[in-house]
Amino acid sequence: MNAPPVPYPDEIRVHPGPALLAGIERGPSLTAHRQQYGDLAWVDVDTLLELVNGVALRGRGGAAFPFARKLETVAGRARRSRRPVVVVNLSEGESASSKDAALALTRPHLVLDGAVATARALGATEIHVVLPAERAFAGRRMREAVAERSGGPPLLLHTAEPRFVAGQSTAVIELISGRPNLPVTSWRPDAVSGLDGRPTLLSNGETWAHVGLLVLQGGASFRRLGNAAEPGTALLTVTGSHRLPHVHEVEYGARLRDVLPDDAAGAPALIGGFHGSWAAWPTVANARVSVPGMRLLGVPLGAGVVHAPGPSVCPLALSARIVAYLAGQSAGRCGPCLNGLPALSAAMDRVTNGHGGRARLEELAQLVVRRGACAHPDGTVRLVRSVFAALPGEVSAHAAGGCLRTPEGLAS
Amino acid sequence: MTRQLRVDWPACHGRGLCHELLPEIVELDEWGYPIVTGPVPDALRADAETAVSSCPRLALRLVKP
Amino acid sequence: MSEGPLLWYLNRATGLTLLVLLTASVVLGVLSTGGRPGRGLPVFVTQHVHRNVALLSVVALVVHVLTAVGDGFVDIRWWQAVQPFGATYEPLWLGLGALSLDLIVVVVVTSALRTRLSHRAWRSVHYAAWVAWVCALAHTLGIGTDVGHGRLWAVAPTAACVLAVCLAAGLRLSRWQESSHLPAGRTS
Repeated sequence: MNAPPVPYPDEIRVHPGPALLAGIERGPSLTAHRQQYGDLAWVDVDTLLELVNGVALRGRGGAAFPFARKLETVAGRARRSRRPVVVVNLSEGESASSKDAALALTRPHLVLDGAVATARALGATEIHVVLPAERAFAGRRMREAVAERSGGPPLLLHTAEPRFVAGQSTAVIELISGRPNLPVTSWRPDAVSGLDGRPTLLSNGETWAHVGLLVLQGGASFRRLGNAAEPGTALLTVTGSHRLPHVHEVEYGARLRDVLPDDAAGAPALIGGFHGSWAAWPTVANARVSVPGMRLLGVPLGAGVVHAPGPSVCPLALSARIVAYLAGQSAGRCGPCLNGLPALSAAMDRVTNGHGGRARLEELAQLVVRRGACAHPDGTVRLVRSVFAALPGEVSAHAAGGCLRTPEGLAS
Repeated sequence: MTRQLRVDWPACHGRGLCHELLPEIVELDEWGYPIVTGPVPDALRADAETAVSSCPRLALRLVKP
Repeated sequence: MSEGPLLWYLNRATGLTLLVLLTASVVLGVLSTGGRPGRGLPVFVTQHVHRNVALLSVVALVVHVLTAVGDGFVDIRWWQAVQPFGATYEPLWLGLGALSLDLIVVVVVTSALRTRLSHRAWRSVHYAAWVAWVCALAHTLGIGTDVGHGRLWAVAPTAACVLAVCLAAGLRLSRWQESSHLPAGRTS
């Protein structure tokens, strides 16, 4: 298995924040958590819907899907003979993202409270928690947290397989079903028919943490953060060369550059992880953390992954390495992905090395999008296309056989 | 009412029967996998249903768009 | 009509025909599994001829059973056509014929319902077609009158059928190794 260009960390830095990460210095124990927030109240579905609608809560797994819609769908499909299921996705297969690990380390009970409150409201019979394969430290802490709890629907733990696509929602359902942790074709949304055909509310760990906070504190404090159009906060993982990942909680509307290290200044940054988009420095410098705002800028926030390698790293070479890694991370079952991504990687290498082939690269890009069980090829194409959209100067330099970042030529 | 052909990608092995039966709306890429180029018009509905039942891997479905 | 040799001759004739048809079905089945699009006959043609030949063999099988039961020269009861043991006449060889029939019925029924089953379930049952063919061959060699008497017009086609199925099996095994939908260099 090939190693990711941004390595999985053994250690992360988590900064205290205004909401999710408030009071993390008191430790992750259940006692400390209850001291800070009190007991978890029982809420019914309507109250829960009111809470999440009141802040327009969007999922934090990358797709920014409105949580209320998922909740409503699952509640509407639930029957005595078809009990709903709650799934907490902490698998975080993206190596440059560490926010879910940060929550597992510092705020596991916030995540679990959100899931438990929702499960109770829905009458769900079990809660499945999917732990990451690569971050044993996070998995261990989450297991400890689960062991501290009692009452409520049973919390069933699973560990994802070590691969990039392990966190994809159908892959997660497959894992829980006892089959290989690989994406399959989704004929109906999970909320309609997921695990064993039951309505399944699968969400990212951070989303559950926000739900937990809403149930424990109400919506008022949520709405005091961020701005009127986009209340609340988001977790960002900031990585760079030669440093540990730093996880920050930022209010929507805050300046992105405030969480970037000084050595990132002046250089492009990759926003949204390996399936994300490059942004040139001026865009990064002026960007405000916002889901619709950054989508308009052409650099969707995704799961809040920001990789700022600094001025000495060539973004084309790094992208070529990422594409090669992603090609190796194909689940290996969908023909266009299995065949197309390695070809895309080869074409990307040729362009990066100044041997041309832009047309072939774009031809391959069009052949792989929307032709797979999951969005792995689509995300890879987004990365590739963003290089040409955001960094034309770098692209021209490479086409001429040189590189803006390293005077000697191409070095990784 | 138009229908759409959807491929179950993990099941598809690129055998190509769908292209043989429905060349009007299914092309093959350079690796032999189907590219569905458009919806299924009513005139081709019967052929599309044959393609679905003839797929050796049962990797094709006719769905509402 | 249970006296006189007509049913007996018809039984023997349909027996040989049946072996040939089953062989053709197996060969066509293997030919349907591989091949890249664009080479030779369209795959759906081979697939549909395979299905039609298989259905033809079912027809021949029905006549073969009817004539065997209807003919009075030997005592074969209706149930002995489907239960592979307990017959009075040549219990082993007749039983193998009954086993072959049972397997053919299962294969044909699951294939008719193919779109309602999972692909894996259908495929597992379909492999029984090979076993059905072997049982049919054993039945021919053990109970077949004309083969038993060494008549060339019966022995030669039988030998040809064995050869054809061996070649088909070899081809099928080689395609299994190939995993032809994967790009070169990948093993899974």
